[in-house]
Order: sequence, then structure tokens, then C-alpha cells
Amino acid sequence: MAPPIERIHRVVATDCGSTTTKAILIENQGGVFRQTFRAEAPTTVESPFADVTIGVTNSVTELQELSGYRLINDDGTIIRRSSPDDKDGCDVYISTSSAGGGLQMMVAGVVREMTAESAKRAALGAGAIVMDTIASNDRRKPHEQIQRIRELRPDMVLISGGTDGGDRKKVVEIAELIAPARPRPRFGSEYQLPVIFAGNREAQPRIREVFGGPGFDLSIVDNLRPTLEQENLGPARERIHDVFLEHVMAHAPGYDKLIAWTDAPIMPTPGAVGDILQTIAKGRGINVVGVDIGGATTDVFSVFNGIFNRTVSANLGMSYSISNVCAEAGMANVLRWVHLDMDERELRNRVKNKMIRPTTIPQTREALVFEQAVSREALRLAYVQHKAFATTLKGVQQQRGVGDAFSQEEAGKSLIDDMHLDLLVASGGVLSHAPRMEQTAAMLIDAFEPCGFTELAKDSIFMMPHLGVLASVHPRAAMEVFERDCLVPLGWCVAPRGEAKAGKPVLKWSMRRSSGSSESGTMAGGELKLVRLADGERATIEVQPERGFDMGAGPGKPVTREVRGGSVGVIIDARGRPLPLPADPSAMRRAALAEVTALELYPD
Amino acid sequence: MRRVTAPVRMLAIAGILLGCIAAAPAGAVPPPSSVRAEDAPGDMGEALTVTWAWEGPDGEVTGFRVMTLRVVADSAGDMRATEWILAGETSPDTRAMTIGKLERGTAYQVKVVALGAGGQAAEAGAAAPATPHMNWFIARKATLAWWIFGVSVAIVGSVLMAWKGVPMRVRRIAALEAVDDAVGRATEMGRPVLFIAGIQDMDNVQTVAGITVLSRVSKTAAEYDATVEVPTSRSLVMEAAREAVQASYLSAGRSDSYNPDLIRYITDEQFGFVAYVSGRMVRERPAACFYMGCFFAESLIFAETGNSIGAIQIAGTAESAQLPFFVAACDYTLIGEEFFAASAYLSGEPLQIGSLRGQDVCKAAAGGFIIAGVAAKTLAALGVGGAAAAAAWIMAGLGA
Repeated sequence: MAPPIERIHRVVATDCGSTTTKAILIENQGGVFRQTFRAEAPTTVESPFADVTIGVTNSVTELQELSGYRLINDDGTIIRRSSPDDKDGCDVYISTSSAGGGLQMMVAGVVREMTAESAKRAALGAGAIVMDTIASNDRRKPHEQIQRIRELRPDMVLISGGTDGGDRKKVVEIAELIAPARPRPRFGSEYQLPVIFAGNREAQPRIREVFGGPGFDLSIVDNLRPTLEQENLGPARERIHDVFLEHVMAHAPGYDKLIAWTDAPIMPTPGAVGDILQTIAKGRGINVVGVDIGGATTDVFSVFNGIFNRTVSANLGMSYSISNVCAEAGMANVLRWVHLDMDERELRNRVKNKMIRPTTIPQTREALVFEQAVSREALRLAYVQHKAFATTLKGVQQQRGVGDAFSQEEAGKSLIDDMHLDLLVASGGVLSHAPRMEQTAAMLIDAFEPCGFTELAKDSIFMMPHLGVLASVHPRAAMEVFERDCLVPLGWCVAPRGEAKAGKPVLKWSMRRSSGSSESGTMAGGELKLVRLADGERATIEVQPERGFDMGAGPGKPVTREVRGGSVGVIIDARGRPLPLPADPSAMRRAALAEVTALELYPD
Repeated sequence: MRRVTAPVRMLAIAGILLGCIAAAPAGAVPPPSSVRAEDAPGDMGEALTVTWAWEGPDGEVTGFRVMTLRVVADSAGDMRATEWILAGETSPDTRAMTIGKLERGTAYQVKVVALGAGGQAAEAGAAAPATPHMNWFIARKATLAWWIFGVSVAIVGSVLMAWKGVPMRVRRIAALEAVDDAVGRATEMGRPVLFIAGIQDMDNVQTVAGITVLSRVSKTAAEYDATVEVPTSRSLVMEAAREAVQASYLSAGRSDSYNPDLIRYITDEQFGFVAYVSGRMVRERPAACFYMGCFFAESLIFAETGNSIGAIQIAGTAESAQLPFFVAACDYTLIGEEFFAASAYLSGEPLQIGSLRGQDVCKAAAGGFIIAGVAAKTLAALGVGGAAAAAAWIMAGLGA
């Protein structure tokens, strides 16, 4: 149980990842919370240790050595301070976990695009990996569905279906498929597989009968879709967190001890990242997209108009999945971003090497350029998938007027509007550890194609998971650390929406710095410009787009915005949106070279 | 007043006539020569072409009068001429004329009268009567033939292109994309889908288009295991709908779920049918309603009732008077051409997609001609040089 907020001055947070356990120390310094020290140690959830707390103790011990505070007791537990004057110990200890593959779930619903999609959204939002989605219209025969359920080894099953007072028959049919199929859990035959039912209220008695036998632990929460016009993900997400702690964590090696140590419930790592992004979006009243590109998967988080969405692109990553990225995007698309002459055969070998030796990092400039080109495609594909998933609800009645005769918009429209994206946050090895910040900014701009004014930032040391849990204990501390230490501001991307033709004028811009100096210029189609603006420095930028180009106020209308500098500055992108790239290889090479030169990506 | 006797009157008339002769130019008007009448080419057998020659000084004639004499067989089978009828008059420079509105297969005797400037006349007849016959091609409709040829080339060409795999994009039609949404809603809510294929019979093309959409709706319903109810106001439509729905259930692999009793004939009476459907909608509260076909006064009754029960409604009709009601009360509406394009859109078959594209190409060409014609006529009215000629060329191109 966490102490009252006013007594929290020193926080230790850990994130137990699959390979490393990362610990950070957050302290109140002169009334402002800052992240002061960071340490890491190998995760010890697997044999021979088979106890996650050993890794936690090791990482916090390193933190102790760095900070000079005594944080670990002789028995390996984390010391709590008895009073604010106590020099040693911390006030709060919190943790997230993605060790052992994180939370793996199977979800089911009646219609794939409706209740099944809501179930998927609830599971992903809670930080789970969705292994499969079973629905009555998933084009699989019942025996195929049963076969699939038997193959999966989920930690938990979430079933939805039918509005309240709506369909009972099909949701019960789905339950009757799952129960006899008896999905085998990861943690042995003794494990009671948690099943969460979040469907039609009237189907609950029948569902209780179906899952009444041994082997299942059924819990029933409010319907995810009480009506098709309404999506109620909160109760299901909370229940997933509870079940994650009670069942999944309790069966993982050492987690029973870790649960006892922490002052707030342990959260799945992606769920915590989602929470901090939601806190930031709500606190600043902005739309945020966050991306975490890993070796095997890419997570994309978005908060648009207060609606949170998360997707996991399971086969898009920079090591285990790199081969799949190249196959899905096509080598030609990867090479669009490469300005050097490269042999395609050699590149294919490089891809396979990276796949079988995932921990290698680029040793040459060519390797770095190629890896960053692949990352652009991985990020682009993950974002496309995210846009397709983060949509308005389907199956909803529309209200029309006669004026809508020729513009009947469909339900299920993407919530993601690049023009209204305010902050784009990057994390993950290839983005966080790029040798130059300009490279990170360029990868983000090329993959996400932000329109209008968009702030670019990166998560300095992948601190977002820790802050996500901290937000549940001390929201102000989480916000302050996020703003000051977590985010490394890269700068701004200024890009109009519209089809740009090479050499044709696109916009005029002028920038007045807070120091008083000013500069201005004109941009033509295909051009990029980097205007340096130091971190903390402010400037007012006015952009006058040409007719047919939109900066957010409408085609041809000027927009003025105050921006804050970053390690890169302001990038004015006049290449047009959607980003056109030449099909001809030599023209492609020239375009990539122009970008490299303009943004000073790979200086000798 | 003294009475004039008959011999005196005769003398006076003769004197006037002699005076007239004395006032006329010297010599009589030469009659036309080489008068020939023959069947006019490129017509439906209702015209003759008459040609003649005339040798004489300029100004001596004011024109030529062409007359016809219909030659018909009497009851005994003998040919008998009727009276001469004026076919038309020409200017003095003209030496040919086409006489129209004649009876196909009937012989006509033709004569040409040269009209002298002084009122005198001389005539000459054709050597033989001529008979108008129907020809294989009607020359004045050549423009239409060219248009048909162009349309055919566009459609056949587009179909061939589609077959060869040339990508042809059909823009998204929201109303058809929303079929899955509507049926899904019905599935989640555990309620039926209602489909009305208009109130006309199968001879109405809109009903046929409606049945095409029904195939898609019922296939989706079969996949989702939802119920589709199809009340009809014509017995033939019921049969066609049953065929379509059964085929859809079969192709979805759910033939056992097909229930013909859900597709039933109600009544031919317009408002009797409306009363049944509206009552059923209020009682059963279907979650999705489709109105695809020919509708009249009942359109708003259906759409308002469906709206009041919270159903997703998708309508499609070519009745322009009913479209505003559907647009205002329904979630999605297929407007006019979209409705007929539905089958191509839904099937995605090269034959249908290519045909759709070919038609669109022709419509675009016709639209272009109309816009150009209006512009040319407007400019001609404003006195812009060359615009009148351009307008005439476009009019000729359109066969107007």
C-alpha cells in the first residue's frame, strides 16, 4: 500500500523485461520530481535462478551503489523510509513486468469487427499480446477454431459478444467451443485458466454453466458493448490487471515475492506505457502517438481525442522479425531510404544475419543506413496497421441530413488524423540508440508522415513503463519526470498536406526566435530544410502554404505556431503528404541523398 | 346601269388576254428536261429523289415546282392515277429535290414545272414512275451508328482490358461497404435483417438490381448466421428472392440454415403491403433494414419507421422523387446509377467491371460534348467568331 502522496519523495521503479531488469530512482529535488539514477541487471525469471526478485535486487543494488543511498536490506528486500528525514530507503517501490513473454491472451466475440474487436482493444489496452481472436464470422469452421484454441497456450481468455439484451445464442456457442477445447495454460496443468466474460448480461447464467467445471476460473464483468453505440472497456481492463496479478504473476517464478514488495499493483509493461501516454495526453490536452520498436514486435500507442488505442505488430521488428519486414515491405521499398550504392544480395545476407544474431549492432555506415531504412518500413507498416485498428465503432446507426447525399461516411473511420497529431514519441533500440538525433527524427518523419506542426521526442532510457505505474500512485511526479527526464525533445516537423511537384512552390515560412533574431525562406516541392533551434529556445513560426497545401487551417491558409527547440530543431518538410517517392531507382537515390544532406544525417 | 350582253363580255375577256400576251416577254419559258425520279438512297422507303435539267437565260424562271401523282391499282387491278399534288418548290438554281412522306412501295409519277418570271409556266414529266423502297442503312442516322459503335468499342475494350488484368478502380460505395456493418449489428443484437426489394414486379429493372443486392446481404447473413426476412409484394419477386437467397446460403456453406418461409408474398396492394411491413418492423424491431428497388409513397413510411426503431437502414432506388426521403431517413443510400452499378461492385467480375467502366467512359464523352455544345452556343450568341461553326459541328456530332 503506497503512503500518502505528500509523503512520497523518493521512488524506486523497476521494469522486469525479458532480458534485463531496469531500475530507476526518482527523487523530489526542490519540489520537482526528477529521475536521478538508473541501473540494470539481467532478468532472472528463467532457470537456473527462476526467481525474478534476484534480478530486481541486483538492479536496485547497482542503483544503491550509484546513488549512495542504502536501498536493499541484507535479506534482499527493498528498504522503505520510516520518515522523510531518513537518508536510506525509498518511500515507494513499483514495478512493471514483461518477462516471460508478458501477458498472452486469447479473445473471442460474436462479430469480428464488433464485439471481438472491442475484446481485442480491451486486451491490448491492458498490455496483453493477443494470440488469436475467435469470432463467429472469422471464416473458420468450428473444428478449425477448436484446433486453434487447443494449440494456443494463453494466460487468460476474454470473451465478449452480444449487446445487453441482444444475442445470447452465438456468444454461448463460442463459450461452448472454448470450454471443451480446454486451452492448455503456460503454467502447467494445475493452473486454473482465467476466463473473463464481458458480454451480454442475459447470457451470464449460461456462461456460468459452461465454465462451471474444473480447469477454469470464470469472472464476469460489465459488457464491453452494452449497446453497439457504446464501448465500455474499463471494467474488463481492470479485471485483466487483477487476473494478471492474481493468476499469471502468482504462477511466474518469484513474482509472489515481488507482488508483496511493491506498493502498487505490478502492471504489464505495455499497459504502463499506455497509461503514461494517456496521462500526458489528458494533462496537456493533446493527441499523442507513441511507438516502441523492438526486436520481434512493434507496439504503437495512440491517444486521439481522449481515446486510447494500442496495437502490437507481432511480425515487425528489427532483429527476430527483420526478415519479415523486408518480405512484407519489399526490398524495393526498403531501398527507397538508402542513398548509398548497395548490393541487394549482400543486403539479404545482412538481414538473415541480423535475424540469427539479434544482438548485433551496425558496425559500418552502410549497415547503419540499411538498418535505419528497414526501421522506416517497419514503423510505417506498424502505423498502417494501427490506423486500421484505431477506428470509430462499427455497427452504429448514423444520423444523416439531405446534405449528406454525396458524402456518406462509413462507420469504422480511423481515429488517427495526422494533421491533429501533436506529439510523436519514439522508443526502442533503433530509435533511441541512433548515433544522431537527426536520424531518429528522420526515421519518425519518413515512417509516420506527420502533417502540420508535430512535436518529435524520444524516450531517453525507456522510462515510460516505470512512469505509467508511478502515474497510478503519484500522477504529478509521473508528469514532471516525463516532461523533464523521460522525453528528449528532438524538435518539430512542419509539413503541409498536399501533392507536391518537384520544383513547384509549396510554402513560405518565417521564424522569429525568442532571442529576437529571425529568418525566413521559400520551399519548393521535394525540399527539406533543417532550422536549428536549441533545446529550451522558443520561436514563433509562420507558414504560408501555397494553394492546394494545408497546414491545418485549410488549403492556402497561413498558420502561426510557437515551438520549442530540441536537439535537432525544426524540420520543414515540403515533400508533400502523402509522401511521394520516385519509382525510378536513380531518382529514389537522389531523393534519399537530398534528405541525408538537408538533415545532416550521416556527416563524415 | 346598262346591262352588258354575253358576246360583249367574251370579247372583253379575249381583249384582256391578248393584252396580257402582248405585255409578256417575247417567247415561252422552256420546259425542264431530263426529268428523272428515283428511290432516295439511305431511307426507310418514304422518299424519292427528283433531278432535272433546264436550259435558259438567268432570271427567266423564278423557281421550279415539283408535283407528284400517286399511281394506285383500282379494284379491277388496273393502274389508275390520282390527282397531282404539290411536293414542293425550289429556287431557280436548284436542279434536284428529295420528296418525303411518300408511301413505301407505291409508284409515283413526277413532273417539274418551270415557273416563268412573267407567270408563264412549262412543265415536263419524268419518263417513268418511281417507287420508294426501304434501304438497309438510313443515312441520316449515321451519327447514331457511330455513337453506338464508339460505345461498343469502349465497353468491349474495357471488358477485354479487365480480363487482361488491367486494374480498374471502382470508387468505394459506402452503402455497399456498410452491408457487413448492418448485418453484424443484427447479429450482435440478436434481431433479424429486413430486406424489401421494392413494390414492383420482376419486369422492373430496379427490382432486378434489388435482388442482386439481396444476394450479397443474404450471403453475409449466412456467414454471420443472422436471419433475413424478405416480405414481397409480388409473387414472382418472392420466387426470385428465394432462388437468390438459397444460392447465397449454399455458397456460404450454410445451406442447412436457409429457411424459405422467411421470404414470403404479402399482397399486391401498395398500402396493404406497407401496413404489413411497418407493423412487422415495429413488432420485430429488425436491427438492419434494406430497401432496394422501386419505391413510391411508401419510401418515407418505411424509412421513418426503421429510423424510429433504431435500425441501420440502407436504401437504393432510381426513383428520383423518393431519394431525398431515403437520404434523410436512412444511414446509407445508393443513388440512381450507384444502384445499378451495385452488381458489378459486389461481384468484382471483369465482365461487369469492364462494362461499368466502358459505360462511364461513354457518359463522360457525352457529358463533354454537351458542355462543349452549351459553351459554343453561348459564345455564338455573344458573337464570338468561329463559335457558331463549332456549335454546328458539335450539333452534327451529336446527331441533332
